[in-house]
Amino acid sequence: MHFYQLMIKHLIKLGNIDKKIKSGEKLGACFGMPISIKDNICIKDSKTTCASKMLENFIAPYDATVISKLKKQDAIFIGKVNMDEFAMGLSTEFSAFGPSKNPWNTEYVPGGSSGGSAVSVSSYECVASLGSDTGGSVRNPASFCSTVGYKPTYGLISRYGLISYANSIEQIGPLARTVKDTAFMLNLIAGIDPNDNTTVNNNNEDYLANIDAGIKGKRIGIITEMIGEGIDPEVMTATKEAISKLEGLGAICEEVSLGMVKYSVAAYYTITATEAGSNLARYDNLRYGYEMPVEGYEFNSYISKTRKKFGPEVTRRMIIGGFVPSAGHAGKYFLKAMKVKSKLTKEINEAFKKFDLLISPTVPILPFKIGEKINDPVSLFLVDINTVTANLTGKPAISIPFKIVNGLPIGIQLLANSMNDKLLLQAAYALEQTVKLPEVPI
Amino acid sequence: MVTVEEIEHVSKLMKIDVDDNAEYLEKVQTIISYFDILDSAGVESEEISMPEISIEELRRDEYIPFAEKLIEKMNHYKGTYVRAPKM
Repeated sequence: MHFYQLMIKHLIKLGNIDKKIKSGEKLGACFGMPISIKDNICIKDSKTTCASKMLENFIAPYDATVISKLKKQDAIFIGKVNMDEFAMGLSTEFSAFGPSKNPWNTEYVPGGSSGGSAVSVSSYECVASLGSDTGGSVRNPASFCSTVGYKPTYGLISRYGLISYANSIEQIGPLARTVKDTAFMLNLIAGIDPNDNTTVNNNNEDYLANIDAGIKGKRIGIITEMIGEGIDPEVMTATKEAISKLEGLGAICEEVSLGMVKYSVAAYYTITATEAGSNLARYDNLRYGYEMPVEGYEFNSYISKTRKKFGPEVTRRMIIGGFVPSAGHAGKYFLKAMKVKSKLTKEINEAFKKFDLLISPTVPILPFKIGEKINDPVSLFLVDINTVTANLTGKPAISIPFKIVNGLPIGIQLLANSMNDKLLLQAAYALEQTVKLPEVPI
Repeated sequence: MVTVEEIEHVSKLMKIDVDDNAEYLEKVQTIISYFDILDSAGVESEEISMPEISIEELRRDEYIPFAEKLIEKMNHYKGTYVRAPKM
């Protein structure tokens, strides 16, 4: 279960595109391309549920900027796809409409929170998908399902029309089967947007041009904290092979330490829960919500009752989001988390003075079975340890499919300095050309 | 270590009411206890850096008319009024 809303009215557009072709009208760059959309990105007059019972019948009154841009290019939105509720999770098990399954082995999770996006691309149901990445939510499922997943520099893609979870670090990002397709998508959706003040001007950079430039002479730092304790031996072997292949292409690889990585998961969850506690306060049935009679309730108890529609993970994070920044606790948790974020940013900026790129496995472990970690939240959080750094520091990062071990995919992550997205895609393309992976067994 | 009572107090302030209170709060307590690792990060003297945007970079605060009538998207409306039940 990864599509839960096939968009018939958009499929009808295929007929219009046929007419355009026959009449010789100019076609958009992705005319007729089936694209799936994570269900936290608004498409006008379509349901946008965030995989939550709270928004089960919410119809978006406007298009997200990324959707407007793709519509102008004649893209076909084949459907809205499954995710962890409000993007809080990394296995797509926390969807109110049921979990998605990994197409490589349906007993395993597809990763998350953009699990439906990765499954739809991996299983050849669409050419590309748009997901959102708050702490690895594009790269993690890309790694688990053997697709490319891209988290751009913070501000490169407009968040207007993306339902907020943790605004200060999240970004919309494309998932596709190849690095070239990913660069193609980025060309269409990146750029400044007056509706999102955090967007940055990329001067209409063409990310596809010179994508085969190679990486000869580039210096790549291997993040030691991401290949240490807790890494699966198979993932370690794959990472060493990737480093060896990059060296074979002329790159110079050396180890580099980012000491704050050890604290990054705690900082990430503290900051995101705080922002979620604020962002999700609007779901009170006064501003957003669902049909529920109010007679007989006192004001506060009505809102409390309303919020019972939130799933367990969202409820937990809202409680944490109220606790960690509260008077008496903010100094111990939230402020320290913000300081870790600042120090980590300093460390990575220092690393980029010496290195062009950084490398790590995208996820330190192989995909796990559905239900295996659902009752152990801390162990589940630690799966994010290699991906949250890019979000906390605003750097671009990509997951490239690299190896299949015992029928399960392993992805390799590359990071670059802010606004070096083009270099990052060139390096990812170079690495991608060194591997030939089997087809998904569906 | 944070106590279950402290968490329970905050969840009430957040207007969150769960059925299986003990189980929820226990998991939240486990997670918040994990955050204690931040105590050993040694960042006490660190300055918090925040991105700054100058006012010139912000878009103009202009009224942009919505193409459709938002009121028509409401379930209960009459004329130009939204009908709200008594509370």
